[in-house]
Amino acid sequence: MANLFPRWTNILPLQILVVLGLIGAAVTVGVWYYFTPKYTRVGYQPVQPVPFSHALHVNQLRMDCRYCHTYVEKAAHSNVPTTQTCMNCHTQIKKDSPKLEAVRESWRTGEPIPWVWIHKTPDYVYFNHAAHVNRGVSCVHCHGNVNKMEVVYHAKPLSMSFCLDCHRAPQEFIRPVAEVTNLDWKAPSREDQLVMGKKLVHDWQVSPPVNCQGCHR
Amino acid sequence: MKKIITHPPEAPVGKRYWRSLDEYSHTDEFKEWLSREFPQGAAEFTGDDVSRRNFIKLMGASVALAGIGLSGCRRPRTEIIPFTKTPEFQIPGKPLSYATSIPRRNGALPLLVTTYDGRPTKAEGNYTFPGLNGSTDQIAQASVLSVYDPDRSKGFVLDGKVITEDAFNIFLEDFKKRFSQGNGLAILLDESNSPTRARLIAQLASLWPKAIIYSYDPVTFGRNKEKADAIAYGANQSSVPLYDNAKIIVSLDFDFLGFVDGTPTSVSRYSKSRRITSPEDSMSRLYAVEHRYTLAGGMADHRLRLPSSQIPAFTALLATELTKQGLNVGANCDQFAQFAQPDDFKQKWIQELAADLINHKGQSLVVAGPNQPVETHLMVAAINSALGALGKTLVTRKNETPSYSSIVDLANAIKSNSIQSLLILGGNPVYNAPADLGWSNLQRQVAETIHLSFDFNETSKLSKLHIPAATYLESWGDALAEDGTYLNIQPLILPLFDGLSQIQLVERLLGLPGLVAPDAVKETFKQIAKPSDFETAWNRFIHSGFLENSTAKTSGSSAQLNAINQSLAKPGVSFVALGSQDLELVIEADYSVEDGSWANNGWLQELPDPITKITWGNAALVSANTAKALGLKSYTEKGIDYGEFLRISVGGNDVQIPIQIAPGHADNSISLFLGYGRKLAGRVGGVESHQVGFDVYPLRTTNAASIILQPAIQKMGGVFGHAITQQHWAMEGRALFRENTIEGFKEDPLSAKKMGVDAHVPPNISIYQSPPLTAKQQWAMTIDLNSCVGCNACMIACQAENNIPIVGAEQVKNGREMHWIRIDRYFAGPQGSEEQNDIENPEMVMQPVACLHCENAPCEVVCPVNATVHSEDGLNVMAYNRCIGTRYCANNCPYKVRRFNFFDYNKRPIQDHQLYLGPMATKSEQDTELYKFQQNPNVTVRMRGVMEKCTYCVQRIEEAKIDQLIKAKDSSPAIIPDGSLKSACQQVCPAEAITFGDMNDESSNVSRNLKDPRSYALLSYLNTRPRTSHMMRLRNPNPKMPDAAKVGLISIEKNDSDHDDHTLNPELPAGEQKHEAASPAHGQSKSH
Repeated sequence: MANLFPRWTNILPLQILVVLGLIGAAVTVGVWYYFTPKYTRVGYQPVQPVPFSHALHVNQLRMDCRYCHTYVEKAAHSNVPTTQTCMNCHTQIKKDSPKLEAVRESWRTGEPIPWVWIHKTPDYVYFNHAAHVNRGVSCVHCHGNVNKMEVVYHAKPLSMSFCLDCHRAPQEFIRPVAEVTNLDWKAPSREDQLVMGKKLVHDWQVSPPVNCQGCHR
Repeated sequence: MKKIITHPPEAPVGKRYWRSLDEYSHTDEFKEWLSREFPQGAAEFTGDDVSRRNFIKLMGASVALAGIGLSGCRRPRTEIIPFTKTPEFQIPGKPLSYATSIPRRNGALPLLVTTYDGRPTKAEGNYTFPGLNGSTDQIAQASVLSVYDPDRSKGFVLDGKVITEDAFNIFLEDFKKRFSQGNGLAILLDESNSPTRARLIAQLASLWPKAIIYSYDPVTFGRNKEKADAIAYGANQSSVPLYDNAKIIVSLDFDFLGFVDGTPTSVSRYSKSRRITSPEDSMSRLYAVEHRYTLAGGMADHRLRLPSSQIPAFTALLATELTKQGLNVGANCDQFAQFAQPDDFKQKWIQELAADLINHKGQSLVVAGPNQPVETHLMVAAINSALGALGKTLVTRKNETPSYSSIVDLANAIKSNSIQSLLILGGNPVYNAPADLGWSNLQRQVAETIHLSFDFNETSKLSKLHIPAATYLESWGDALAEDGTYLNIQPLILPLFDGLSQIQLVERLLGLPGLVAPDAVKETFKQIAKPSDFETAWNRFIHSGFLENSTAKTSGSSAQLNAINQSLAKPGVSFVALGSQDLELVIEADYSVEDGSWANNGWLQELPDPITKITWGNAALVSANTAKALGLKSYTEKGIDYGEFLRISVGGNDVQIPIQIAPGHADNSISLFLGYGRKLAGRVGGVESHQVGFDVYPLRTTNAASIILQPAIQKMGGVFGHAITQQHWAMEGRALFRENTIEGFKEDPLSAKKMGVDAHVPPNISIYQSPPLTAKQQWAMTIDLNSCVGCNACMIACQAENNIPIVGAEQVKNGREMHWIRIDRYFAGPQGSEEQNDIENPEMVMQPVACLHCENAPCEVVCPVNATVHSEDGLNVMAYNRCIGTRYCANNCPYKVRRFNFFDYNKRPIQDHQLYLGPMATKSEQDTELYKFQQNPNVTVRMRGVMEKCTYCVQRIEEAKIDQLIKAKDSSPAIIPDGSLKSACQQVCPAEAITFGDMNDESSNVSRNLKDPRSYALLSYLNTRPRTSHMMRLRNPNPKMPDAAKVGLISIEKNDSDHDDHTLNPELPAGEQKHEAASPAHGQSKSH
């Protein structure tokens, strides 16, 4: 009886296995890289309805974050300023700038400015700004150096592991409350940060939740 | 396969507790229930439209469609919309509370309503209001949902066509011109104690001197207490019982602990009289005589079941007996007493009751139900007066509410053709007017009817013009609390669909602008408060919600025996001896939907009746004896109670309604509940083609509105399956509910810890290492069964706080209701005896059960994905996003407190099998979109396939923790002070039965309760170490009563006393418990 299968088929199962293995590895690596917030979120930089520059307002004019994000120390939600807040200054300064037409339009009509949401946590995450900025966690940790950004982009992954990195080791990140909105502040060295961090964690009794209820309710 | 825990068999001593007749008779059916989480087959698709195979096909198709275009791969653009102008006070995402009040029949309830970004989401009691401690009732809790009712009226309707507000204004101007004197005009009001409405109506009456003003309320119609009080204590006087001052309370057919007859104040006062903190304390004693089990009957120490129509005779007999024992009552009531034919038992009962009342002169109180005839109330007034109750346990107050002509007069006026135009403000007479008036025909006779109502209901349909009404959360107003305190009503949101309040409409009729503005209320406030500085006083009033020191003064009037006797000489009631052929009907408002005006509120429809546990409908309640005598069958299948239809005819009107056998119901009496069978309520409450429950209004007549004698009864054949929850989540095990007499408690203060197997099981040894509990504050809860009356308010409060969906009658029948806290109602009788008498006359007890947050939680160890884990502050938490829906946890929970989302209840309509269609269900935005405004933004809305359960209101705990962090800034945060953090169920409880707090704090209320000898853990022999402890119920029987032996029965197992030495440790509060197994004293006990 003749062979049913030609000789080259002997090696076929091995080839299939190897190829499947390679595909499997590629998929794993692909998902690992492309499907995680590090890739999907970081770098998101939508065009905003008003070409507002944080770099100009914060870095050059030295405005404090809390001038516009007024309730960041009081509420879970850090508010985006109302049109009124913009108009506090822009009725005087650059009042005819074409870049500000959308703001003036909003002020005239009462229609709010539809800012595009960048730093968006999932619905099941209950992040609280007030709990962080009052306790020595700086804006920069999650939002990056917004003070240097012409157009705001998503700088950090804001994934669960990103949150837990800090919740598990707050001493690595915590800073004096006075420096929270100073986005350029840095401890002189990592050793200094750890020494100071450990002291602050101890003195303020910082114990960030690492169980589910801290963020998921 | 579930691991079957074989619970030790129950010893045949003491008391036996049962939930249903099925359980009572140990049917195999019930045993199935115990070992299963849901009824057999409930987890299968049995819907006619969608089989499992079809479902998979559909799902496959939708997955394929989703693949095309890969629309899910792009990040959706979402926007942040700030305000343009910064609003005052508003911090985005932070709630604001406003003081307002909800009008209720027995006095408005002061509220603090939480709003998020301008939308009211939750009503809480106003804790600054004295006497109520921030408690409310289930209606106040559910009322928030009604604001967002998608079926509420959304516009003006003239002759069946929707018109604009301008067209309405033109109509109104024309109307005012046509009726410049009020000739031929009648106004029908609903009942309200608002001083502003009364003032404006009086103005309207003087503007239109010829117009006649009537009022009608279906619940208070035919109530006799006010009439009797006017005779006994003088015109406009009403008597107010002070339960907290009483040592002996006798309740005659009066459910003063349920919120149809009673109020949170009465529950609060009563529970104060029963509060026990140590075995030395004393407590009040409650006797109840009633035709069906009420909440008051459940709390009673001695209860006698007696048809409602026999209560006057009983009262007369009591008065006679009191006189015989030397206390001259002075009422001539022998003529009534002769109708009672008491047997020896009742004779002895009355004798001992009278003796007890006399022994506690000045500390005793007799109260009668509002549906009782005037004669009962008059005799009660005479008895109370003789007992020296006035001024001590009973006070009189002047009643300020004006009274208008009755609807009966209006009907006569219409019949004589003297009414051309009828203005109906609120109310729904086409549905709920007494049947003998033939209201719908009468209304058709009137040339023009204008109807202001919240929904387009049965009456609106027959009216020329329908005006949408604004709810109390959308308009300005005022009201009087039960104690007469002047309360404000302020809008929290503009009327969602341009509705008008009654005050606004009357203002417009008076020629005032009638906008959403407090002008009229300000004027009334000026007259009532007479402030020297108006602005300050007004702002203070609006801020605090009530006017201080405006409580109605007690008038100190005494009972006028002459007037009482004059009235008693001409009785208005007739008596018959009831037999199986001559029954009585007792018609009362429903605990949930009341008169039917709350019928379209899904939370209330799905709220089980506190006694029968029937949801989504009503039934004719009868005793087993009466059902047998009438030949009516009733049986249970797959957990659904089926009752045979009964046709009841009164005055030519028929009602067909299925029966439900109610243990503890009086024989020859049928209880019916109003509020169901609506024909135009909405998708929840029923429409013509799909009615919810059965309408019993056709049986009410003007002369006999609540107690109807000798109706024609006919057996109909055919059965109806009630969506009943009495067997749902039935727990297996022993001594779930623990009770003792006060004497027994004094003898053995630790008796709570010795009941059931706890009397003799060896201490538990755990091989499972509990997760570390390292947080500074450890949360715990206690539920005092001695205070809980089972009013259901906590169930709705929890639902409102935690975004718990309703599932619909169909799914309730499958055992899938979602309430996180349930109230288990048990009947109880002597163990071992199976006489008929047990079913007919059991005791009834209530036990709220929510997740107990076990330290050794059985659910946690079986979760394959760690979706339910323990937090370091002792909470058993659920991470919804991890949950894959294996339901292992629910299967392993001995308390059955976990709830599974079988469907997307928040996205799909619950009617007509739509849930089974999944994404193919009709997309009706109205169904769900508007309800979303009610939802608490701090709690995840769960989707299909996710397990959920009580979280101890974790969102409130975290919020409180964060508040401390914000305060602390760069210092160490303080702990959350005791009492500042309340769970939703605790906050609403008028009896203060639920205590929540930090058990590490020695001085906290919850620590005190955990140390109380009455506290015990449910099923503690399983070593789950629950964080929620229950506290033993105490009864205070009169040892001389003939039924005292039965009341005194407790379920302590009187085993060998040598086991007593190791009974206590398993019950220590979980925090104090330190590996008791290591203690040598307990290590050697023999096992059973």
